[in-house]
Amino acid sequence: MSTMLALLLVLLTLMVIVGGRSGIKSYLSIIINFGLVFIVALLISWGANIALTAACFVPLKLLTIIYLGTNETKIADKSFLISFIVTVIIVVLILGFNFLAQAPGIGEQSGEDLIGLSDAPGLSFAAIGVVVAIFSTLGAISEAAVAMSAGLIELKRQNQQLSMAKFYQSGLNIGEDILGTAVNTILFGFFGSFLALFIWYTRLNYTISQILNDKLFAQEFLIMCYSIIGVLLVIPLTTLVVSRSKKL
Amino acid sequence: MIILQKKYWYSIIILFIGLGTVLLTYFNTNYQSTIAVVTQAKKISAEKVKDQYDNTDHEITQKLTLKVLNHQHRGQSYHLKNTYEQSQLEDQKYHKNQRVFVQVRNGQLTISNVKRDWVIILMVFTLILLMVVLIGAKSWLVLMSLLLNTVIFYVVIHFDIQKNGSGTIMIYSLAAIIFATVSFLLYQGIHKKMWAMLTSTIVALLISFGLCYLIMRLTNERGITYMAVEYATQNPRSLFIGQTLLGVLGAVMDESTDIVSSLSEIIYHNPKITGKQLWHSGRAIGQEIMGPLINVLFLIFMADALPMTILYLRNNNTIAYTFEYTLSLGVLQSLISAIGIVLTVPTATICAYYFLIKKEGHQ
Repeated sequence: MSTMLALLLVLLTLMVIVGGRSGIKSYLSIIINFGLVFIVALLISWGANIALTAACFVPLKLLTIIYLGTNETKIADKSFLISFIVTVIIVVLILGFNFLAQAPGIGEQSGEDLIGLSDAPGLSFAAIGVVVAIFSTLGAISEAAVAMSAGLIELKRQNQQLSMAKFYQSGLNIGEDILGTAVNTILFGFFGSFLALFIWYTRLNYTISQILNDKLFAQEFLIMCYSIIGVLLVIPLTTLVVSRSKKL
Repeated sequence: MIILQKKYWYSIIILFIGLGTVLLTYFNTNYQSTIAVVTQAKKISAEKVKDQYDNTDHEITQKLTLKVLNHQHRGQSYHLKNTYEQSQLEDQKYHKNQRVFVQVRNGQLTISNVKRDWVIILMVFTLILLMVVLIGAKSWLVLMSLLLNTVIFYVVIHFDIQKNGSGTIMIYSLAAIIFATVSFLLYQGIHKKMWAMLTSTIVALLISFGLCYLIMRLTNERGITYMAVEYATQNPRSLFIGQTLLGVLGAVMDESTDIVSSLSEIIYHNPKITGKQLWHSGRAIGQEIMGPLINVLFLIFMADALPMTILYLRNNNTIAYTFEYTLSLGVLQSLISAIGIVLTVPTATICAYYFLIKKEGHQ
């Protein structure tokens, strides 16, 4: 048996034991999410319009993560709305910063991996970079949106008479905690993703200035910041949306 | 009102410091390398090219004029032809007014890199400003933890290089424990809730990694293509293990915090709660956060491999081959992380029971 298959089976078993029915749903959401990433790669490689592909698959991915990940439709509805709005704002931010950074394509560090591959594939790698950035932030945005709206909806149900000011203060308190933990998840996720690259920089004695100007560093650093900003934007927006909704 | 005003002043101060720093970095020419600015960029030709797989691309030639801004050739202008593919996979297009690092040799100028440090600084200040405006007082804690963890990361990397890829599991397990301890001390301070969170994080991490390592050994690591580890400057297997241990750490910390603090609220309101009831509550909370959390890491690991996946597919590689060389390691990393995230649910519940009920002597 291959290691991957064994891990897949162990994960399924554990998720059923710990999560029961919702464990199976979460497991499904991961499998579907993987399928979606792969379909996006296939479509783009076949020459599909990159912007259109992203516009179709971003909502699909949010739907998968949020509706299969949460058990209550009310929370899921709000989380989906909020994640979608935040994603739209983040896309504008990504387009702006990616233009300023002028860091398209694959870094010089990949040299060896590119041997035998075409250097004129006829696809805009600047646009693909934008898709990568958007996809990377989706997980963090939707997780924060689910956590935040679950907390706030529960709060509103328990205290119907809460004044607007108090509600906003509570929203901020919950938001602070969510930001703190979400930043850790994002930060270590990226440490884990780019350990090899940072070891490369250190081994080859890159100066601070060389690292800050490096194409790959710019790509990765910006993606990490987009995710954190996404979580940041979720906090006030959720407070606003939940405070305005009448029926919960 | 006073708090609001304070926030308002902080934001204005940060805005101005930020703007100043970005401009200073942008115009800074005090580098070891030579810097030039593109004063003219004109497209002179575009040619249709086909690669060996019949993909059509456009090869574009630009005529650039650059003015050197520092060192011995300061003030001199150079002309240069830049040829790039429209896909900008390895080479790229240059714009008017763009600042670049160059090399001048024998009267010939070549562009070595784009100046991007000011964009990084701009992003840092955008992030700080948004944090202060939207969150306020607690943002300095988040920023502190980002900074401290980065410093520790830097030390860990030096240590790893010194050991040259040996003792990886030891190094990164210890690093994970240090990262977790520092973060929890910073966010939570010393109290029993923090001990429950920290213990849960470390135990969940070690058990899940131990389990996954055992599975890897039992299956003889079949199908793990270590060759596909990117940017490997040392044994790729050790890199993979280090990356996996670090990658899952944040999520396990996140989840331990959520479960322990929710359970501690429940225990506070109902001190007579039994172990069985607590177990049910812990499971219920865990079920809600498990799925989205796994997807956070999954997307970070997967999205990163997307450009290479597309490139491999575009080069007529089979789906199986492409998967093996571009996505499989990310999938494995995600699966190991997912196992860690699932195992954190019982661990955090047991730790909450042990530290918050048993030690208190409620029962």
